[in-house]
Amino acid sequence: MRGQATVPKSRTTAQAQSRWRTLASGARRYPLLFVGVSLATVIVVVGLLAPWITPYPHDAGSATHATAALQSPGAHHWFGTDLVGRDVLTRVVHGARVSLAIAIFVLLIAAVVGLTVGLTAGFVGGKVDTLLMRITDVFLAFPALLLSVALSAVLTASATSAVVAISATWWPWYARLSRAQAAAIRRTGYCDAARVIGASRSRQLWRHVLPNAATPVFVQMSLDAAGIILTAATLSYLGLGAQDPTPEWGLMVSQGQSLATTAWWVVTFPGLAIVLTAIAFNFIGDGLQTAFDPKRARR
Amino acid sequence: MNALLSVRDLRLSYDSTQVVHGVDFEVPQGPYGVGLIGESGSGKTTIARALLLLHPIHRGSVAFEGADVSRLRGSDLKAYRRAVQLVFQDGDGSLDPRMSVGANVGEPLVVHRSVPRAVRRDRVAELLAEVGLPEDMIDRYPHQLSGGQRQRVVIARALALEPKLLILDEPTSALDVTVQERVLKLFERLRIERGLAFVLISHNLAVVDRLCESSVVLYRGSVVERGPTASLLSRPRHPYTRALRAAVPEIGVVRPPLTRIGSGTPPDQADNACPYAARCPLAVDRCRTETPALREVDGREVACHRAEDTIEIEPFTTHHDDRKHG
Amino acid sequence: MISIRDLRIAYDGRVVAHVPELDLSAGTIMGIAGESGSGKSQTALAVMGLSGYAGAHVSGSITLDGQELTTKSRREWQTIRGRRIAMIMQSPRAALNPTVTLGTLFRRSLRLHGVSRADSKARMRTALDEVVLSPDILDRYPHQVSGGQAQRFAIALVSALRADVVIADEPTSALDVTVQAEVIEVLRDLRDRHGTAMLFISHDLAVISELADSVTIMRHGEVVESGPTALVMQTPRQVYTRELLAAVPTIRRGDPQ
Repeated sequence: MRGQATVPKSRTTAQAQSRWRTLASGARRYPLLFVGVSLATVIVVVGLLAPWITPYPHDAGSATHATAALQSPGAHHWFGTDLVGRDVLTRVVHGARVSLAIAIFVLLIAAVVGLTVGLTAGFVGGKVDTLLMRITDVFLAFPALLLSVALSAVLTASATSAVVAISATWWPWYARLSRAQAAAIRRTGYCDAARVIGASRSRQLWRHVLPNAATPVFVQMSLDAAGIILTAATLSYLGLGAQDPTPEWGLMVSQGQSLATTAWWVVTFPGLAIVLTAIAFNFIGDGLQTAFDPKRARR
Repeated sequence: MNALLSVRDLRLSYDSTQVVHGVDFEVPQGPYGVGLIGESGSGKTTIARALLLLHPIHRGSVAFEGADVSRLRGSDLKAYRRAVQLVFQDGDGSLDPRMSVGANVGEPLVVHRSVPRAVRRDRVAELLAEVGLPEDMIDRYPHQLSGGQRQRVVIARALALEPKLLILDEPTSALDVTVQERVLKLFERLRIERGLAFVLISHNLAVVDRLCESSVVLYRGSVVERGPTASLLSRPRHPYTRALRAAVPEIGVVRPPLTRIGSGTPPDQADNACPYAARCPLAVDRCRTETPALREVDGREVACHRAEDTIEIEPFTTHHDDRKHG
Repeated sequence: MISIRDLRIAYDGRVVAHVPELDLSAGTIMGIAGESGSGKSQTALAVMGLSGYAGAHVSGSITLDGQELTTKSRREWQTIRGRRIAMIMQSPRAALNPTVTLGTLFRRSLRLHGVSRADSKARMRTALDEVVLSPDILDRYPHQVSGGQAQRFAIALVSALRADVVIADEPTSALDVTVQAEVIEVLRDLRDRHGTAMLFISHDLAVISELADSVTIMRHGEVVESGPTALVMQTPRQVYTRELLAAVPTIRRGDPQ
């Protein structure tokens, strides 16, 4: 039937029920994925709601309270306060926004650039392929940190410069990955079939190559999220990324480092946040990889 | 009468090696089938790809309804794409696994904008019905279908634009025998109902016999025999065709043991020799110094200097006594 | 040589092959014919003791000269496979190690099964001669030889190992028809010259009718019909057998006008 205007009510509830069931069975089959997604969801939600659920939202900005400096965790400040009296809990929670924002931007930029370069190279082949891949190789040669340092010297260090620096070193991996996918897809029959039907090259790329090449890239992206967050934290720890008063976890660790033995809470809580987030995304990445493993595919 | 497809002196290369050396044949208006018979290395698949403009044509010409296809542009090219379609060997590979059956079959309609969106689904259902598949298959995915069903989806898609010529590249080789039978019957029916012309590429002589009125036998990129299928297969003249025919096992037929001849891996194609000379039991000096041209023998065209003598020789096999020359 | 009784191969409780009775004697070729999903390949794997690796549950009895094979341990199988029962597969190159020459492969296989160095040389030479391959082929790598040559090499290997039973799983399906004819001859030779017993699995009834002395037809995991090849092909008793035979495309005879 075309254009199903009326859908019986029983059908929608049945659909909803089956979705819960799929979720439950999914949790049982892919425990790692389930834990990762749950944890990540908590982090994301908490980060999104930060301004409303934290006790001292202004501490995430430029507020300073010299008199309340370095208070150990207690009733008023569950995670204590830092060197300039800011509530650590608030800053850690807001830090989620910063880190996640950086990760998302980097992933988006790297994926878009990487996919464009890679799919074009793999699909068109020949000289274009060689040229694009050589450019990719040049970027691959730079270790992320080195490039970030160089870029930071040129641009003023900030969260934005960190995003630029990390994206510049991350996209080549996606280019390589999607190129391999595109080349493999090109060899199968359905691209030729599309050509025989008269599909234009761009249609072939968009309709056939991209959807089929995307899955490994998505999996890789989820695996990379953790790495990006860690890299961003490292950069800000080195002073090359986010700057004070931005509540970036790596920056917070750096700021509290000298006080590690005395005011342990300043370092520990941001550090824990980094670890937990990295673990969550790693689980997601691993889980997705297992879930999409063709050898496990049930037919 | 104008031939639908006319191939003249087609020469094709693959990675700088020439694989097709001057092939000619014609396909008349449908319903009609032309078989391209050959084994691996014969160039048949490359020819098929060239006919579909999937392979560059450097020398020679392919003309469709009188027009050279390599020069087609724009709307003429689109018209050619509508008129000539392909059914692959591997139904598995030629359907996009991420698109539903309906989307796959409907793709030609979308690309050519020939059917308004509202009516598209109905048209797809019609096409599926024509190949014997139920309408509810539209929302299924290729991996959920059996090999035979997938092949029929591929055929449905090929029919979507009302083609005049279908290129069939080993369409049934990957199918079970009973499924193959059904697909062959489908082809026979479609031939008549739609007046289609076929170019059937296959190494399976029985399938070619069933669907093709005339055939072209290819050996290492050259035409060695050409003519009406029935007589070509029942009284093959070219030694290679004879070897091919003799090698096909048949139920209930006891083949005499084959005499082994030949001399190992074939040398590179010499410019002025018969491509089969290295393997041929009838080869004489002339065969190694002069490329035989196609000439009329027994109602067919045969490229052999000794075509008149071949009928007397014992069945033999073409390759492989590698002991002699290694 | 090989006797199968009430064999059932199941995955997750689902029976994929059931063979109530099958006997293979020395010097005969038994064809197992069927379409995809018939269970013929599963049966072959079971006789080679390879079902367990794929996660299948095997019940019933498969005996080799009276010895029960289904209860053999992995180590025991290692002495049987190759020496007493050998396998030839559809894709010959998939079974050949691409990093060593064919000669090295041949030597290693023979040594693995305890053939002395002197004996190896002689056996290799004879085996290659029988399959009509030049000794030069021993210096080549698997990717440098054609499909037909690779398959004949696989047969030479099996012949040199003097295996009593050979299981050939669609050995000619991927080959050109003229090459197929050669390989069929070579397999026939193996039976005639060495008295090898062979299980020949194929979907191609014509090839089976050429080569096999007796045939077992399987469908959806069950045995439909079995008996001497000529008898089954000329006077099939089951409907499915008749359908199968009717579906095999044949070249018309005679000169139509």
